[in-house]
Amino acid sequence: MSEREIGHPARRRVLTIATISIMALLFVRLCQLQLLYHGEFGKKSQENSVRSVVKDPIRGYISDRRGSLVVDVGPFYSVTLTPSEYDPRNTPFLAQLLGLSQSALEERIAKAISYSRFVPTRIKRDLDYRTLAAIQENLYLLPGIAFEVEMKRTYPTRARATHLLGYNREITELQLGRVGDYYRLGDVIGAGGLEASYETILRGQKGFTFYAVNAKGQVLGSFEEGNHDVAAKDGFDLILNVDIGVQAFAESLMTNYRGALVAIDPSNGGILALVSKPDFDPSVFSGVTPSDLWTKLNSDMSKPLFNRATMTRYPPGSTFKMVLAAAALEEKIITENTRIQCYGAYRYGDRVFKDMKAHGSVNVVEAIQRSCNVFFYQLMMRVGFEKWTEYGRKFGFGRATGIDIGEETSGLLPSSSYFDRVYGKGRWTQGYLVSLSIGQGEVGVSPLQMALYAAALANGGTVHQPHSVQFIRNKRLNRLEIVEHNSYPTGISSHTMELIREGMRRAIHDAGGTGYAARVPGVISAGKTGTAENPHGEDHAWYVGFAPFDDPKIAVAVMLENAGFGGVKAAPIAGLVIERYLYGELKRYVPPPAFPSPRPVDSARVITQARTD
Amino acid sequence: MIDYFKEYFDYKLLAVTLALTVIGLVSIYSATYDAGVGVIFTRQAIWSGAAFLALLVATFFPLRTLQRIAFPLYTGTIVLLLIVLVVGRTISGSKSWFGVGGMGIQPSEFAKVATILALAAFLSKPTTNLAEAKHLFIAIGIALLPMILVFFQPDVGTSLVFFALLIPVLYWSGADNFTLAIILSPLLAAFGALLGTIPFVIAVLISLALLYYTKKNLFTAAVVFGVTIAIGLSVQAVFERLPMYQQKRIVAFLNPETDPLGSGYNVLQSKVAIGSGGLFGKGFLQGTQTQLNFIPEQWTDFIYCVPGEEFGFAGASLVLILFGVFLLRGIKIAGLSKNPFSGIAAIGIVGALTTHVLINIGMSMGIMPVIGIPLPFLSYGGSALVANMTMAGLLMNFYSNRKTY
Repeated sequence: MSEREIGHPARRRVLTIATISIMALLFVRLCQLQLLYHGEFGKKSQENSVRSVVKDPIRGYISDRRGSLVVDVGPFYSVTLTPSEYDPRNTPFLAQLLGLSQSALEERIAKAISYSRFVPTRIKRDLDYRTLAAIQENLYLLPGIAFEVEMKRTYPTRARATHLLGYNREITELQLGRVGDYYRLGDVIGAGGLEASYETILRGQKGFTFYAVNAKGQVLGSFEEGNHDVAAKDGFDLILNVDIGVQAFAESLMTNYRGALVAIDPSNGGILALVSKPDFDPSVFSGVTPSDLWTKLNSDMSKPLFNRATMTRYPPGSTFKMVLAAAALEEKIITENTRIQCYGAYRYGDRVFKDMKAHGSVNVVEAIQRSCNVFFYQLMMRVGFEKWTEYGRKFGFGRATGIDIGEETSGLLPSSSYFDRVYGKGRWTQGYLVSLSIGQGEVGVSPLQMALYAAALANGGTVHQPHSVQFIRNKRLNRLEIVEHNSYPTGISSHTMELIREGMRRAIHDAGGTGYAARVPGVISAGKTGTAENPHGEDHAWYVGFAPFDDPKIAVAVMLENAGFGGVKAAPIAGLVIERYLYGELKRYVPPPAFPSPRPVDSARVITQARTD
Repeated sequence: MIDYFKEYFDYKLLAVTLALTVIGLVSIYSATYDAGVGVIFTRQAIWSGAAFLALLVATFFPLRTLQRIAFPLYTGTIVLLLIVLVVGRTISGSKSWFGVGGMGIQPSEFAKVATILALAAFLSKPTTNLAEAKHLFIAIGIALLPMILVFFQPDVGTSLVFFALLIPVLYWSGADNFTLAIILSPLLAAFGALLGTIPFVIAVLISLALLYYTKKNLFTAAVVFGVTIAIGLSVQAVFERLPMYQQKRIVAFLNPETDPLGSGYNVLQSKVAIGSGGLFGKGFLQGTQTQLNFIPEQWTDFIYCVPGEEFGFAGASLVLILFGVFLLRGIKIAGLSKNPFSGIAAIGIVGALTTHVLINIGMSMGIMPVIGIPLPFLSYGGSALVANMTMAGLLMNFYSNRKTY
């Protein structure tokens, strides 16, 4: 094809004319609509037409394993203001009715105007009945003012379960930018715990009601008899593994402590109770979110917002000894008959590591029973760092557990490569291992991980993904959906497990055991105490255990910050919780707790340094 | 210095492009004013920056290289379209997006640019002769392949653009009237059939006239006429296979008043919005239709209502004038280009953008069916903005190279 034929001037003229014609066609139509028919369309938009009002769904309920309602919803009233209908001369009167200062009300009205002049905006939420009545009486004097009924969370049980359930609060502007199109200013969103991690399941789906309105936005009535309305779809309910009676009881036992308690069903990893103290009452946020309260909670030195059950890294102390025992037995470094002499101290290089007392000649079962440090110091030297880390990993340490409440830490399970990275190759000594062997130094675990470890020891060696939700009630398909969870075996032989469990049983029931305070009347249980040294104050008290010994139904981990000996402080709490769960009530008398104020700590840092003294 | 600048830099086209983009941003701001802290506006503003970079790259890209990479680019976008068909994300019933981070990428927008360049590269080759059936079929095939892939996403609106731009491109490249009539008449018949029996009959008569007066041999004309009627008759069958939402839109176009809250609802509300704007509009952020969200997702396909309602006849006709200047400028650049590749590509760009403007604005004013294609530079959408800015950049590129053979 020769070039002359491409882009012939005549064709260029034709295309130009065609383009001009198309633009002219659009222009003529524009003139027709905007100049000729303006009157008609202007009127139509004046009369127009339809306004959609969002209908909030009812948020899903949460109930416990026995069917008790744990999280409910109840109504509350808010006052709304539509700026285009509102007469600003009413501001002083309205301020008086609402109990607000005039300037505060003006500020809220300005905010409403900046949001939309035509849409009702909430200017005061969660009214008390006196205010509600006062507004209701004067409503005819106040065009543009209306009520809205909203739903808020209520908590019918004695349990708080703050860190497990989470709470509801008004969405922040920062979140609005991040979470996308579904939410609007003033909407409620789940914060922390299950409320946050199951947000999309609990919240449901908004609906719309259409009203006929005029251009001033005044509602003329429902639009076409509500034929086009979209019903709100209520959120799905959660049915938990938690026993709310046990939860409430555990909370009461922990009242005067900073720390955490986690109870797990060893057969499947279901969370029976999860307590983190100090906590706060989740209902304080469910209506309006008072910003001063938020600031107060946020800056509280005892960190009530912090989930100590899943977000902390405490050294586990002696409760960690079973990891080393498992490694030594499985790797055939010792047998059940291997005995080690304990003279009450162990010398490594020029350092001396002490024990509570001289235990004499002990085998592995006795070492667990009596918590003999020297036995484990020596064992660590024979087992070595690599194997210790490997068996720690098998029990789930040093990684996230996958719990369904979202926020957790993986903890810290050191390895030789970790020490090489932190201290430099050859800059750390085997002496560091001595501390690790008894769960001191740079090893950090959460109470949740410890509960999982106790559960694995209880069930003979399976680590389950912990999960607080058992079922979701799908209201659309009208059926219960099971929440799936993962499990993996530790691969530890049943013989090894038997020996370790026997040591833990003796720790509770035999003379010389450290955990006798965890005994439960009529039940054989097993456990291990721990007392973790801490450079910031008194020792942390630990207890892990399970019961009944032959057919474990509950595994518990208790951790109390700066409370002293595990056997004295943590073990009794675990025993009471186990009793409450197994019997459904207490078989023995419980003295009422005293109420001293908790001591402040200067830092939440909980990993102790490797000791060098 | 200034003369040199004017000689090589089409600042007029740049000014028009930027003016349209700014009007778009203002309109999106207004349309999303109460829908949650301006996420959409912010995204579009960020995309505008990216799109402007694309414009600069397209402007200064070496023309020879562009011509050489036209086919590889085309092949690449075809592969992308295939991938989208298999793994794409579904947005409002159509599978046309790639998820990249939080933002979607729409390969069909880029396929438009690549198809135009590939067509131009093929048709500008000295060996290409449109009088030969083989060459004509290749040209049609280049447009048809992406069109079919996009059609099955399914995105009927965008696929239409691929075919529509082919007609001015072939015309510019010297195809004779009979060839054009052969391509045009099935399209006319299909469109007419969608509108009803009488428009179909009229379309068939127009096709008959076109074919008769341009005919080269009677046999071909008769065959094409037969095919035309067959296509027209089978449209009904195809229509029934279209996804529900597109069926509804087409039905609603025919008679919007019958279904005021269905698909026709948008058109009705959009006409009210534009109509009530009057001479100078209701003022920025004061449009009752826009601010009360009478038109769902107004920031995408119905963006033209915003200038129409809030800035009235003054604003709406300014948009039309800017588009008019842009498109005529494109044709002028095509005419000035000594290089046939530039000329054909420029006409392709003008053809594609004209189709978008005609269908989108026409639909907002109720004279075109609602087939959901965005208004260039104004509608919300990052990929479209980048593709359109690239096309504007290419036109500026052709302008500065217009004297190169």
